[in-house]
Amino acid sequence: MTHSSSSAAAGFRPTALKSIGRTILYAFLILLAFLQLFPLLWVFNYSILKSGDLFGTELLKIPLVPQWGNYVRAWVDGKILRYFLNSTIVVVTSVAASVFISFCLAYAVTRMKWKLRPIAMLAVTLGMVVPIHTTLLPNFLWFSYFGLINTHLGLIIPYVAFTLSFNTLVYMGQLRTLPRSMEESAFMDGASWPRIFWNVVAPMSGGATVTVCVMTFLNNWNEFIMAYTYLATDDLRTLPFAIIKFQGEYRSDYAIQFACMTLVAVVPLVLFFFFSKRIMAGVTAGALKG
Amino acid sequence: MKGLFGNGKVIAALVVPGIAVMVFSLVVPIGFSVYYGLTDWAGFGKFHMIGLANYRDIITADPVFWRALMNALILMVVTICIQNPAAFALAAVLSHLSSRFSRALRTVYFVPAVLSLVVITKLWVSIFNPTYGILNKLLHVIGFTGVNISWLSNPHTALGSVLWIILWQGFGWALLFYYTGLMTVPKEIEEAARVDGAGWFQAYSRIIIPFMFPVISAVLVIDVISSLRQMEMIFLSTEGGPGFLTQFVSVYLYQKAFVAGAYGYGNALSVLFVVVAVGLTLVVQQVLRRNDDAQ
Repeated sequence: MTHSSSSAAAGFRPTALKSIGRTILYAFLILLAFLQLFPLLWVFNYSILKSGDLFGTELLKIPLVPQWGNYVRAWVDGKILRYFLNSTIVVVTSVAASVFISFCLAYAVTRMKWKLRPIAMLAVTLGMVVPIHTTLLPNFLWFSYFGLINTHLGLIIPYVAFTLSFNTLVYMGQLRTLPRSMEESAFMDGASWPRIFWNVVAPMSGGATVTVCVMTFLNNWNEFIMAYTYLATDDLRTLPFAIIKFQGEYRSDYAIQFACMTLVAVVPLVLFFFFSKRIMAGVTAGALKG
Repeated sequence: MKGLFGNGKVIAALVVPGIAVMVFSLVVPIGFSVYYGLTDWAGFGKFHMIGLANYRDIITADPVFWRALMNALILMVVTICIQNPAAFALAAVLSHLSSRFSRALRTVYFVPAVLSLVVITKLWVSIFNPTYGILNKLLHVIGFTGVNISWLSNPHTALGSVLWIILWQGFGWALLFYYTGLMTVPKEIEEAARVDGAGWFQAYSRIIIPFMFPVISAVLVIDVISSLRQMEMIFLSTEGGPGFLTQFVSVYLYQKAFVAGAYGYGNALSVLFVVVAVGLTLVVQQVLRRNDDAQ
């Protein structure tokens, strides 16, 4: 980027050119950032307008009287709270289970010596490659044998299964960097396996745990198609469904649909705001090493 | 210490839950699909074993299936040839900026990737809407006042619009992968190239890109998998239409089984889909590995 400085004797010109180039570059980068955020801004804008405003000619419109009532209606009439609680139950449970199970699996694969290890590795790899959508049809039948269709557990189990492979890979990456000597000396001191896990290995894997928790949370919070397929009762449904429901019930009430979209997007945005560094580190660790 | 890491009971306790969950929600269902794929079951009532008839019909007489695979292939090509180079170039620019500015930009660029696909899709469906969508309004503002396109239902624009949404949402990921990859390139390598008189183009094409080959090939594998996997976005926007122009395999098998009442046929599609996904991923991985060894 700086090879134009070969004509160093010319003094003034290259620097001026460089600074103009730099300004253009920065303007471009900021414009791009704005374009990435614009759709969100647009949705938020129309969520506080009247439904009729949508059909005007403006791109964005400053609300003279912000219609916060749209949010109240989305929250109260739309039963967002119910969906919100359902999402929380399903997501928190599946994150806890997935974290625990993938940690155990990763430990067994990276540390322990056993014959069937390649098969476990194959299962993990397969879990990354097989599209979840191919299991939608058979699982609808298979889960109903166990009475799991239209229950939260019937959603939690596949949510764990489909985040397991990625999480195991992230934990494997972390565990490979840790020395075995800590576990060995704890064992010599007479510590039991559960103690070794809880007091020695788990604290050392904290970084991976944060990554895995946040990624699993985001993934399951946003999951739509399984929730849509396996849940039939309104009382059990999770948040992404609310948007679809609103489209049917409030077909012409666009503002309330936009308010609902904003509400659904808020949780991941807040989470991302606080954990962006861990999310970005984790995504690359898990995906690129896998 | 051999006893410590070879304790059979501990190993079993660690592995069984994970494998059990995978077998329950991944392996058994595929087995189910293999079985029902051999039947003419509608999802209710009686059914017959019809051998490989479903597979024969899919492969020889189902233009929708081939169109769906073709769309996945188009998406793959567009992702690899347009989105990835753009993301790489932007990542390269960001890697030369001050770390604070670069981090702020990366965070903003990544925002679409953390949002629910449902939100993203509804967002773009609204943008593309012919009556109140912002895209037509924007075209009016810049002078194309007569333009009134139904982006998602016009056969000329539907596939392009759908692909655009997918590329837009995936851009943050590609950028992040390449940026992280660039960060693994030791500064000395780049500096050494500069000292030898290489311009930035040569530094990238001869040294940095070859150095990043493992990262690039990992991203390519992810591109292949995710191109095949598209579902929610299509399901919530065009449902594969107009006609079956924007169809993808997962949407198609879902519609066949749950809407058209061809559960057996849908399962046969599922099985073929697993075979194609696993097969293609393995082939791409093999090809990339061979290239890697050759270097």
